[in-house]
Amino acid sequence: MQALAEDTGIGGAQHRFPQTRWSVIQGARSSQPEQRQRALDVLVSAYWKPVYKYIRLHWGKPDEEAKDLTQDFFTRLIEKNLLDRFDPAKARLRTYLRVCVDGLVMNTDKAAQRQKRGGDVAVLPLDFESAEGELLELPIAGPGGPEEFFAKEFARSLFGLAVDRLQNECQAKGKSLHFQLLELYDIDEGGRQLTYEEVAGRFGIKPTDVTNYLAYARREFRRIVLEELRDMTGSEDEFRREAQTLLGVRLP
Amino acid sequence: MTFLSDSALERLRVAADAPDLTGTRYHLLGKLGQGGMGGVFRVDDSTLEREVALKVINVAYLDLSARLLQEARVIAKLEHPGIVPVHDAGMLPDGRPYYTMKLVQGKRIDELGKDMGGIADRLRTFLRICEPVAFAHAHGVLHRDLKPTNIMIGPFGEVLVMDWGLSKALAAGIDSAESGSVAEDCAADPAAVVATAHGSVLGTPGYMAPEQRNGEIVDQRADVYALGAILEFLLQDAQPRVPARLAAIWRKAKAEDRDTRYASVPDLADDVAHFVDGLPVSAYPESIVSRIWRWIARNRTWILLLLVYVVVRALLILFRPR
Amino acid sequence: MNKPVLGLVLGGILGIFDGLSAWFTPAVRSQMMGIVIGSTVKGLIAGILIGYFARKVNSLALGILFGLSVGLLLAYGVCAMQPGPNHYYFEIMLPGGIVGTIIGYATQRFGQQPRAIAD
Repeated sequence: MQALAEDTGIGGAQHRFPQTRWSVIQGARSSQPEQRQRALDVLVSAYWKPVYKYIRLHWGKPDEEAKDLTQDFFTRLIEKNLLDRFDPAKARLRTYLRVCVDGLVMNTDKAAQRQKRGGDVAVLPLDFESAEGELLELPIAGPGGPEEFFAKEFARSLFGLAVDRLQNECQAKGKSLHFQLLELYDIDEGGRQLTYEEVAGRFGIKPTDVTNYLAYARREFRRIVLEELRDMTGSEDEFRREAQTLLGVRLP
Repeated sequence: MTFLSDSALERLRVAADAPDLTGTRYHLLGKLGQGGMGGVFRVDDSTLEREVALKVINVAYLDLSARLLQEARVIAKLEHPGIVPVHDAGMLPDGRPYYTMKLVQGKRIDELGKDMGGIADRLRTFLRICEPVAFAHAHGVLHRDLKPTNIMIGPFGEVLVMDWGLSKALAAGIDSAESGSVAEDCAADPAAVVATAHGSVLGTPGYMAPEQRNGEIVDQRADVYALGAILEFLLQDAQPRVPARLAAIWRKAKAEDRDTRYASVPDLADDVAHFVDGLPVSAYPESIVSRIWRWIARNRTWILLLLVYVVVRALLILFRPR
Repeated sequence: MNKPVLGLVLGGILGIFDGLSAWFTPAVRSQMMGIVIGSTVKGLIAGILIGYFARKVNSLALGILFGLSVGLLLAYGVCAMQPGPNHYYFEIMLPGGIVGTIIGYATQRFGQQPRAIAD
C-alpha cells in the first residue's frame, strides 16, 4: 500500500491531463486529411454498430436500407462537416450524433441514396452481418427510449473496443493469461461461479496470482476505456459526464 | 469487435468501477452508493476484522484527487459523535486515493418518511443534526452540502452527518464586516477556484444558499440556509399542522439575504429549542397578549390546579355556615 | 432543587396561604397564628413526604394520587384535633387535598432526580 502522497504527487504522470487534447471533434474539423481520417476511423469504430442497430430497431428499417444509411451517415459526417455545429456545452457527442442520424433517416430519399451510392462515395468496410447477429441477442423490448438505447449500444461498442485492445496489448506484453482471467470472470457467462482456487488449478497458478492478474487486467481495461472515451468527447466536462455514466452509475 | 452481452457489460462496468484492493488489508463486499466525486463501497478490514465503508475517487475526477484526501483530513480532525469517524486513508494500487470510515447501519432521513414521528420527535432530530454542524463551524469547517440524503439515523437514534466531500476548511483571521464571524478567502483556497473552473455544481439545488449558487464567498450562514431547508423537509408531512411560529423559523433560516438569516447554527438551534419549550422565538414577533396566552398554555396544568384551589377556597369562604 | 426540597418549599408556601385563608372564617380568627403555623407545618410535612415519594416513584398519576392522599390524611388529622363540635371536615380536607394534589404534580414534573453514582 502506498503511503499517503503529497498533493502534487497524487495520481502520478498517467493521470495528468495533456496540455493539448486531441479529440474526434478537433480531428473532424482539421484541415489535414490524415487528421480527418483518424477522426473518422475513431468515430466509425465506436459508433457504426450503435448507429446501425439504432436505424434497424428504432427506425424499423430493413437490413439493406439500414446498411446504406449507416454508410451514408459516416460519409456525410466528415464530408459535410456535420461536427462543425457540435457544441459540447450543449449536448453530448453521442446525443448529437443520434440526432444527426434521425435527421438523415427522415430526410433521405431511397432512390437518391442508391444513386449516390454508385457515385464517388467510398464504402466503409463494416461487418453488418455480425451487427445483425448481435441484434438477435438483444431483448425484444428493452426498457427506455431511443436515447437510452443509443447510449447503451455506444457503451457496448466502446467496451467491446476496449476488450479487443486489451487483448492485443496483453498478448504483446506476454500477459495473455491476465486477459483470459478477465474474460473468464467478467465476459463469459458463469465464470463467477468458479472460485479462485479452481481457476488457479485450471491454469496452473497460485490463487493469489488469480487475484493479482485479474486486478491488473481490470485496471488496464479501465485505463483503455477512459483513453478511448477521452478521444470521443469534446471537452473535459463531457468526458467526466460520460465516464460517470459508463463507470460511475448504472448504464441507461 | 468482441460482442458483449448485457450481463457482460454490467460485469465489466462494475469491475472497472470497483476499487483495486490488491495487496491491501481490505476485501470488497459491495457498493453502498455514489456521492459527488467518489463511490462508497462496503469492505472488510481483515486486520481489525470489521466492516468499514471505503470512499474512493471516481475515475472521472482523478484530477481532483487532492480534494478527496483533503476531505478525509477535514473529517479526521472533527471528532464528534455526529460526524462519521475516519479510520484510514491512502492510495490504492490503481492510483486512486481513498479513505475508510465507520460503516453506518441506519437510514437516511429522506428514507424515514412517517417513521420520524410527530413534530416534537422531528424537532429533536433536527436539534441533533445541528450539533455536529455547529461543532464543525466552531472548528472552522463548513459542510456546504447539507441535505436529507447526507444525514443518517443510526439504529439507536444517533444522528450522523455524512459526505463532507464539499467541506471547506476556512482560513482564520480573515477580515469581515461582522466581528467574530468566519469568512472564506477564495484566493487562498485553490480548491474553490478549481471547482468553479470545472463548472461542477458546488452543492445541491434546493439546499444551496443563493450566495453559494452564485459562486460568491460563503460562510457558516450557507449551512444555516441548508439546515433551514432540512427543517422544512422534516416538517413537510408532519401532523398536526405546523404552527406559524415554527414555519417562521425555517423561513428565517432560508432567507435569501444572508444578513437576515440566523447568524449561526447555535442561534437557529436555540430558536427551535425555544419553540419546543413553548418560549418566544426570535423569528416570530408576538404581541403581549399572544405571549401571555402561550405562557398560560405552557403552564395550564399548574394554573388549573391553583385556580381550582382558589375557587374552592373562595366558595368555602362565601358559603361557609354562619 | 431536588424533589423533596421542592415539595418542602411548595408545601410551606401553600400551607401559609392555606392558613391565612382562615381569616375569612371569623369564628377562628382569634386563633390565626396557631392556624397559620399549623397549616404551614402541615404543608411542610406533606411537601417532604410527597417530594420523597416523587424521588422514589416516577409516575405522574401515582404522584398525584399520593399527594391527594397525604393532603387529605393530614387535613383529616387537623380536623380531628379541632375542639368543639364543628371539625370543619369539608372546609379543611377539600383544600388540603387540592394542595396535596398540586404538590404531587409539581414534584413529579419538576425537581432534580438524584444522580446515580457508579461504584
